[in-house]
Amino acid sequence: MIVLRSLLLLMAVGLLVQGCAFSRGTLGDDIGSEAVAAIKKGTTTKAEMLALLGAPDRLLQVNGRDVFQYYRYDAKVGSLLLIIINFSRFSIKSDDLFVILNREGIVEDIILSKRTDGLEFRFWPFGE
Amino acid sequence: MKLPMSRIYPMLFFTVMCVTSLGCNVVRITLNTTLTQDDVAFIIPGQTTLADVITKLGTPDSITDSYQGVVATYRFLDMKYARVNFGWLLKPWSPVDPNLIISRTGLGVDAFELLCDSNWVVTHQSFLRHLSGPRFNPYPF
Repeated sequence: MIVLRSLLLLMAVGLLVQGCAFSRGTLGDDIGSEAVAAIKKGTTTKAEMLALLGAPDRLLQVNGRDVFQYYRYDAKVGSLLLIIINFSRFSIKSDDLFVILNREGIVEDIILSKRTDGLEFRFWPFGE
Repeated sequence: MKLPMSRIYPMLFFTVMCVTSLGCNVVRITLNTTLTQDDVAFIIPGQTTLADVITKLGTPDSITDSYQGVVATYRFLDMKYARVNFGWLLKPWSPVDPNLIISRTGLGVDAFELLCDSNWVVTHQSFLRHLSGPRFNPYPF
């Protein structure tokens, strides 16, 4: 009886769950922690910084200073494909690095946050 | 084997629910983690610096200059999409693939903006609040 029930349950799940899908998309290269760690406030020059990180994605002028912005986007998509209803959840997060240079071209401040570290594949679209 | 009515009713309910929700899609797209008023309650205009904010909330998505100082913006997106295809109801009896689709998308674009003075001290803060409205409602009319 238990075997029959298990088989029926397995069949029901097999019939209802058509499949699931995992997809991932990224924009930009990973911002290397080692390269960021090599940048020292008050000493690293613009040329050294460019050698470490390459050209910025955006160049801003803020508060009389040059700000170099580097970013990377990561998207993870989980889809649960049932026969009669499909659930999908797209989760997108970004890593951003801002390097603030003073008028002499020396790094004044570095701001980095890696939001993509905690990015997970999710299927359930409801709730938070 | 005869099933008792107490078991038939839940099965029947499940079957009816399945048939009525035939051909449904529920999709959600989120960009970054949504900030709430509680998350930003620690910011005191005139005292809190941008560095304090970054320590707690991470880097902003953009930093721009304005005549009155620097504007830091944290952006979020919460898009909800629901779709029902009633044409699926006719599929078993139709030689063609009929479609009768209703769908609705709620695009919630939100941002938290900070205005800082030349010393990076926060002077103003505000949410944009263009929230997505009803939750997964496919009815477009």
